[in-house]
Amino acid sequence: MYRYVIKRVLFIIPTILGVVFIILLTMSFTPGDPARALLGVAAPQADVDALNHQLGYDLPFTRKYVNYVENMIVHQDFGTSYFTKQPVFDEIWPRYQITIKLAFLGVFLAAVLGIPLGIYAAVRQYTLWDTIPSILAFMIAAIPAFVLGMVFLFYFSLKLNWLPSYGIDTLKHYIMPALAISIPPAAMNMRFMKSSMLESIRQDYVRTARAKGASERKVIWKHALMNALLPVITQIGLSLGTLIAGAVVAEKLFSIPGIGSLIVDRISYKDEPVIIAGTILIAICFTVVMLIVDLIYAWIDPRIRAKYARTKG
Amino acid sequence: MIRKPFGVGVAMTVLLGTGTAFAWTQGSDKPVKFRLVASLSSLDWEQTTNLRDMKVWHQMYEGLYGMDEAKNGYYPELAKKVDLSKNGLVYTITLQNGVKFQNGDPLKASDVVFSYRRAMKNPRFNYLTSMITDVAAVNDGTVKVTLNKPYSPIAHTFFCVKVLSEKEVTGQGPKFGTIPNKAGTGPYCASNYTIATGLKLEAWSGYWRGAPAIKNVEYVVIPDDTSAVIAYQNGELDYLEDTPLSAWKDVSKAAGDHGKLIKGNNIMFMAVNYLSPGHKALANQKVREAIFYAVNKHDINLAVCDGYGMEATQYMPSEYVPASPSTGFKTYAFDPAKAKKLLAEAGFPKGVDVGAIMTYGTSTSNNAKMAQVLQANLADVGINATVSVAEAAIVTPKLYNQDYDICVFSDSGNYDYNNIRQQVHSESKGMYVIKYQGGPFDWKKLETLCDQGAAISDTDKRRAIYTQLWSLVMDSATILPCLHRPVGVVWSKRLDIGQPVPTYYKIRTFSLK
Repeated sequence: MYRYVIKRVLFIIPTILGVVFIILLTMSFTPGDPARALLGVAAPQADVDALNHQLGYDLPFTRKYVNYVENMIVHQDFGTSYFTKQPVFDEIWPRYQITIKLAFLGVFLAAVLGIPLGIYAAVRQYTLWDTIPSILAFMIAAIPAFVLGMVFLFYFSLKLNWLPSYGIDTLKHYIMPALAISIPPAAMNMRFMKSSMLESIRQDYVRTARAKGASERKVIWKHALMNALLPVITQIGLSLGTLIAGAVVAEKLFSIPGIGSLIVDRISYKDEPVIIAGTILIAICFTVVMLIVDLIYAWIDPRIRAKYARTKG
Repeated sequence: MIRKPFGVGVAMTVLLGTGTAFAWTQGSDKPVKFRLVASLSSLDWEQTTNLRDMKVWHQMYEGLYGMDEAKNGYYPELAKKVDLSKNGLVYTITLQNGVKFQNGDPLKASDVVFSYRRAMKNPRFNYLTSMITDVAAVNDGTVKVTLNKPYSPIAHTFFCVKVLSEKEVTGQGPKFGTIPNKAGTGPYCASNYTIATGLKLEAWSGYWRGAPAIKNVEYVVIPDDTSAVIAYQNGELDYLEDTPLSAWKDVSKAAGDHGKLIKGNNIMFMAVNYLSPGHKALANQKVREAIFYAVNKHDINLAVCDGYGMEATQYMPSEYVPASPSTGFKTYAFDPAKAKKLLAEAGFPKGVDVGAIMTYGTSTSNNAKMAQVLQANLADVGINATVSVAEAAIVTPKLYNQDYDICVFSDSGNYDYNNIRQQVHSESKGMYVIKYQGGPFDWKKLETLCDQGAAISDTDKRRAIYTQLWSLVMDSATILPCLHRPVGVVWSKRLDIGQPVPTYYKIRTFSLK
C-alpha cells in the first residue's frame, strides 16, 4: 500500500512537467508578445524587442522550458509577473487558498446535499420523495452556476440584504458563491447516488443480508451504501477539479479574488509566469485529490485492500 | 437517514435566514467605496496608460497641470505660473508655494525634473514626451522644459506626467508601485494595497489645498457589471461610474437626484482601409463614400447604448475640447439610396464584397455590437462584409499595419490635439489606422495643418485650422465618427459630489452630507 502511495505521489512530477510543457507550447503559438501588451501599441519596436529580451520571451522554446523547470525545482522560483512586477508566488498563493477553500466548500455542500437525497430517493423509489427530488435534480443540474449566482445575488443581496454582494472577507461572503457552484454538482451527486444505490440494493448480498434477518437500517447503511458509494466518490473527486477550474464564474460574479479569474485576466497580457504557475497549482491539487479518492476507494472496498495485501505478501 | 436531508435543509435555512442581517458599518468614518472593474496593476502611474488606473492615481498624484472636465479642460495645478519663450520652445514653470509630498518633504524643482526624466525613459510615454528635449531645474521653485518644436498641446503632457518625490521613489527602489507609498502631492495616499482586492486611501492632512472632507476611500474590484449595480443598489458602493446602460433606467430611478447621464469623451469610429490587402474595391473613393452613407448611426446607438448615446459627427467632443470644430465639414448623413447610387457609379451595381469588419474585445462588447450593426447596414445597400472580433493585443497591430479592410475602434478625446495628430501624422510611428502619407489624398497639407495647429496657442485660430484638417479627413471617406457613448454616474445619497464629470472625478471635491 505504501508503495502504491509513493508511486502515486511521484506521479505528480511528470504531471507538472507535462503541464509546464503544454502551457509553454500553447502560449508560444498564440499571437502577440508580453512587451507589446505591457508597453502599449505606441511604443517603438526597438523598445518592445529589448523588453522581450529582458523578460526572456525571445528565447527558443526548449531553452525557456528548461529555464522554467530549473528555476521552479532548484530555486523554488516561479518567476515575476510581467504585468505587476511582483513575484508570482506572492500573487498566486493568497488567491489559490481562496479558490481551494471555495472549491472544497462547494464539493462538501454538493456531497452533503446530493448524497442523502440520492439515498432517500432510492429507498423510497416511486414515491413523491423520489419523484420530486429527481425532477428537481434533473432541472437544477441543467442550470449554469452563473444563473444561480445571479438569482442568489438578486434575492439574498439586493432584495433581502442578508448577504454581501462582493468580496470574500467573512464566512457570509462564501455562502452565495459556494451554493452557486455546489448546487449543480449536488444534483449530479443525487442522481449518481440514487442509481448506484438502486443497483446496490438489488444485489444478491443485500437480499442475503435481509434473509439473515438484518434490520433494514443495517442493510441500507452497512451493506448497500458502502458499495454504492464507490462511483459517487469518483464523481465527487472529479467534480472538485471541475469546481476549481469552474469557480472562475463565481469568482467573477461575486468579485472573489481567486486563481481562476486571475489566470483568465492574465491571458490577455500573455503573463506566462502567472498562467503557468497558476495552472501548476491547480494540477497539483487535482492530482492530490485523485490520489485521496483512490485511497478512500481502497479503504471502503475490501476487495482493493485485499488485492494490495496480496501484492505486499 | 431519513432526517438527514431535512436536517441539512433546516441548517441552510437557519444559516441564511436567521443569521443577523448583514449590517454595513454606518457613520462618517465609513469609507466611501468606489468600484474598480479590474485589479489595479500598480501604484506607479508609469506602469500603464490604462484610463481605468489613471483615474485612481489621479487621487494620489498631481501633475503640473490638472484637468477639470466641467470647466473645459486643463488648469495649472502644481504649476503656479507658466511662461513660454518667444520661439515657443521653452516653458519656464514656477511651482506652487507650500506644496508638500505626502511624506512631509517640500516639493522641489528637482522632483519635477526627476519625474519627467523618468517618464522620458519609458517607451510607453513616447507619445507624451517625444517633443521634450530637456527638463532642468532653474532653482528650487522653477523648472525649465525645452521642446524640439513648438507644441501647443503640451498641456496634455503636463497633466499626464505626475510629479513624484525622488526620495520616496528611489527609497522604495524596485518595490515602488507594489507597496503603498507617500510619493505624491495629491489629497490621498494609499494605506493598503492588494492587487487582488483593491486599494484603500486615506486623506492626507497636509494637502496643500487643505485636507479633503472625505477621510477614507476604498476601491473594490467588482468585475461584473450586474454585481456592481446590485452592490450600488444595496448600499455597498457609494460611487458607480460607467453604469451599464441596459440597467440605466432602473438604476437612475433608484438613484433619483444622485445619478446623471453625461456625454462621454469616448467616441466610436469606423475606418475604411483604402490600402486593404485583399479588397481593392476599398481603394475606390466612391465605394468608401457609399459605405459612409450606408451607416445608420441611430441603429448603432440603439444596439450599443440602448439609445442613450449621441450620434457623433465630430472627431472630439467640443464640450471637452475647445479647439474642436463642430461644423464646417461633411458629415455623411444616413442615405442608403445615395450609397447604392455611388456603388453603381463605382462599377458595382449588384453589390460588392469588402472583406471583414475587424474589431477588438469580446463578442458582446460595444465594438462587436457596432460591427454587427455595420454589417447589417452595409448588407442593406448590397455591400457584403463579415465580422471579425479578437483580443486587442491581436487586432491593434493589424490596424496599425493597415492589415484589415474595415475596422471599428474607440478612442477617448485627449482634450486636445494629440488624437488627431496620432491618427493622421506620419511621425506618429505606427499609431494610425489609416496611412495617409503617400496616399491619394493631400496628405502633405494634412501634416502641415497638424503641425500648424500644434504650433499655435490661440484657440480660435486652432479651431479654424482643425476645421480645414477635419474636412480633408472627412472628404477622404476613411474615418467616420459614429457614436458618443454616454457615461452613467450614480452616487449614494450620503455623498455630495458637485457637478459629475465623465472621467477625472476628484474625490477631494466630494463631501458627506
